[in-house]
Amino acid sequence: MSLAPANVDELGELLRTRPGRLRLCGGGSRQQRLPPRGDALELCCRRLDRIERIDAPDQTCTVEVGVPRAALDEALHRLGLELPCPGGGTLGGLFAADDVGAASWGGPSPRTLLLGLDGLLADGTAFRSGARVVKSVAGFDVHKLLVGSAGRLFVAARLHLRLKPRPRAEAWFRRDDLDGPAAAALFTTLCQQAIPPAAMQLRRTPRGVELRGRLAGRASTVRAAQQAFALREAAADWLDHVAAPTAGECLAGGARPSQAADLLALLPPGSDFVMHGGGRFELDTDGPATSDQLLHRLHALGATACIVHGAPARRGLGTPTDPGAARLAQGLARALDPHGLLV
Amino acid sequence: MPSPEALLTRELGPDRVLTSPDALLAWECDGFTVHRSRPRAVVLPETTAEVQRIVTLLHGERVPFVPRGAGTCLSGGPTAGPDAVVIDLARMRKVLQVSLVDLFAVVQPGVVNLDLTSAVAAHGLHYAPDPSSQSVCTIGGNLAENAGGPHCFKYGMTREHVLGALVVLPDGSLARLGGPAGARAPHELDLIGLFCGSEGTFGIATEITVRLCRDQQSIRTLLAAFASMRDACRAVSDIVAAGLVPAALEILDQATIRAVEASVYRAGYPADAAAVLLVELDGAADVLAEEAEEVRAIFAGHGALRVEQAQDASERKRLWKGRKGAFGAMGRLNTDLYVLDGVVPRTRLEQALDGIAAIGARHGVLLTNVFHAGDGNLHPNISFDGRDPEQTARTIQAGREILQLCVDLGGSVSGEHGIGSEKIDHIAMMYSPTDLEVMARVRAVFNPDGLCNPGKVLPNRSACAEVAKWPQMTARVLDAEAGRP
Repeated sequence: MSLAPANVDELGELLRTRPGRLRLCGGGSRQQRLPPRGDALELCCRRLDRIERIDAPDQTCTVEVGVPRAALDEALHRLGLELPCPGGGTLGGLFAADDVGAASWGGPSPRTLLLGLDGLLADGTAFRSGARVVKSVAGFDVHKLLVGSAGRLFVAARLHLRLKPRPRAEAWFRRDDLDGPAAAALFTTLCQQAIPPAAMQLRRTPRGVELRGRLAGRASTVRAAQQAFALREAAADWLDHVAAPTAGECLAGGARPSQAADLLALLPPGSDFVMHGGGRFELDTDGPATSDQLLHRLHALGATACIVHGAPARRGLGTPTDPGAARLAQGLARALDPHGLLV
Repeated sequence: MPSPEALLTRELGPDRVLTSPDALLAWECDGFTVHRSRPRAVVLPETTAEVQRIVTLLHGERVPFVPRGAGTCLSGGPTAGPDAVVIDLARMRKVLQVSLVDLFAVVQPGVVNLDLTSAVAAHGLHYAPDPSSQSVCTIGGNLAENAGGPHCFKYGMTREHVLGALVVLPDGSLARLGGPAGARAPHELDLIGLFCGSEGTFGIATEITVRLCRDQQSIRTLLAAFASMRDACRAVSDIVAAGLVPAALEILDQATIRAVEASVYRAGYPADAAAVLLVELDGAADVLAEEAEEVRAIFAGHGALRVEQAQDASERKRLWKGRKGAFGAMGRLNTDLYVLDGVVPRTRLEQALDGIAAIGARHGVLLTNVFHAGDGNLHPNISFDGRDPEQTARTIQAGREILQLCVDLGGSVSGEHGIGSEKIDHIAMMYSPTDLEVMARVRAVFNPDGLCNPGKVLPNRSACAEVAKWPQMTARVLDAEAGRP
């Protein structure tokens, strides 16, 4: 059964009156990547789809969480603006999952673009955090807890987002003429530039290794980068995730750019792999034994990872987390959702 | 039973535990000098293990404690009550690791902001957040306050540059938040993002991992003088609307210009201008030539009286000298300076400045303005004589009304200075009791006993009363306004 409130008031009413546990979802694209929801009802935010304001001169906007990313992009494009981070689905899902992170090393990410939110605790209590302006350090930034929470701490209803002007020139590039170590080295070098690519990813597919990305800025900056690194222009092509394997598992994690070569070397034969410019990566494996072995190796490397696709009971297993941080995360869950209603 | 001071002395030795009233004088306030309170002791740890032992001991003794960096905060954040021990982190000033490949550094909290840039400058790198106090303020303090600075218009505030931290929690346990890769796994909470800006109430960061930025190929710094503040503000709006992203967009009003020009920070600003706008562009050299021309055209469109462009590093330094020294220059105007910090949407800057002038006139206070125009982050400054209670009360009231104005215009009561003790009664202008209750729940996860920097950020009358006279003074002003005896 799925509940789908039509507006924020209905959402609050539903939380105040409904019994039992809930699993939040937007467009539903990320459900396969979460632990099993058990007896929880699905609370779908897809109908909360209003773009409430776009303040072009101040480069901020307020959207309901069910707004599809594509709809916001279209509205912003007309105004010469963009939300400068990758990720699709609904905006609520994009921020709650944060499964791509930054598109480039040091570049904007959901964490940096979320200025504030209007939210509801699991019992329907409404609260605000952050602000609508581009700069505010007033109080504790509870809204930052949305990022990566998968909707398990509170229900975000409206997001206040920072926007950026669309670049005057852009070009997508592709290098598929390099072997693994050379592609990884170029990936690291591009991350180190004063003006790195606006988006970049290193992929390994059965066809081989390739580096793709987007250069943005002034025409002369774009040209200079193309020439300096032989970045051949290519069609726009961005992959948020590796394809979910029909059998086997998928791991997602984070690493430093210079670890790209080590990650490539660790990959099992035939494994698909994508690493984003901000350090997030995904890869698939043929099953639990390979995944467990990889998780050990990734931990030894100093990278983090967890299983995001596979048997429900395996999802969420990963490299060890710091016990202090884990204790804080559990404490935050208890503090904001004391009855464990959001799963 | 030995006293906490005796136990601390046993841990650190007498040289690193200060208790005499004279020695404690230097810790009685930060840059917000209205709020003064001498702590019961100051301790000077040098390692994470020492911080951990101190915090464990104080937690066990139920003694409140306050972490402190250089004390340059402007909101009373590190000012401790008379029952609290200050944990001064200034001796923890080692750069522990620099990665020239992945562009990050791991530093102790007492490392001075500018010293970090100096340490990596030879490699063509820098640390981007640059508060005006960057030559003395520390990375630990910057993390606690989520510090900003002129260049955060383009590069973002401290949070965007902090990747992780090793934190001594208020019960003495350790937590490692984030990491050098920013390598949070999917579905892990952004704990370092939450910790940054928690004003020393969530624990003490003893190792901080920050991102380093590659120096840009070229920098162009331009200064334009305008006949009115309105022209300067509109030039800013047009620069942003043109899709330009300068590294900095700073405005100084006439009173500030005159204070600067009469001080050791003299930078050659035109003293007859109503406002000067400092614009810094950085990037590839050929692009900057184009962008500087665009900026000049916008200046001309708004009737700039004079435009100056730095021709070399020394001229750039001169143009910035006035801006960076503005707060110091205002020290000449009276014995005390109340540096306010509010934010409005950039498009409401003119309206905000008109309102601020009206508030200043109504309360008869001397107001100057220097601000980060690109972010809409205002710093109205009130020069006053803190020895005069009536003048101080008018200053406080004017400040309160200015912050209310910022909120009414859709902004915030703080852009980069934090709430501290200064704005503890003002935060409710932005947030409902429920909003504040949610924040309190989050704080209680980190700091359940309230021993770590009590009486800061969130209103809590009983804690405030222990901290010092400042909140009481604010309360008196509010009572007077409400007609209460």
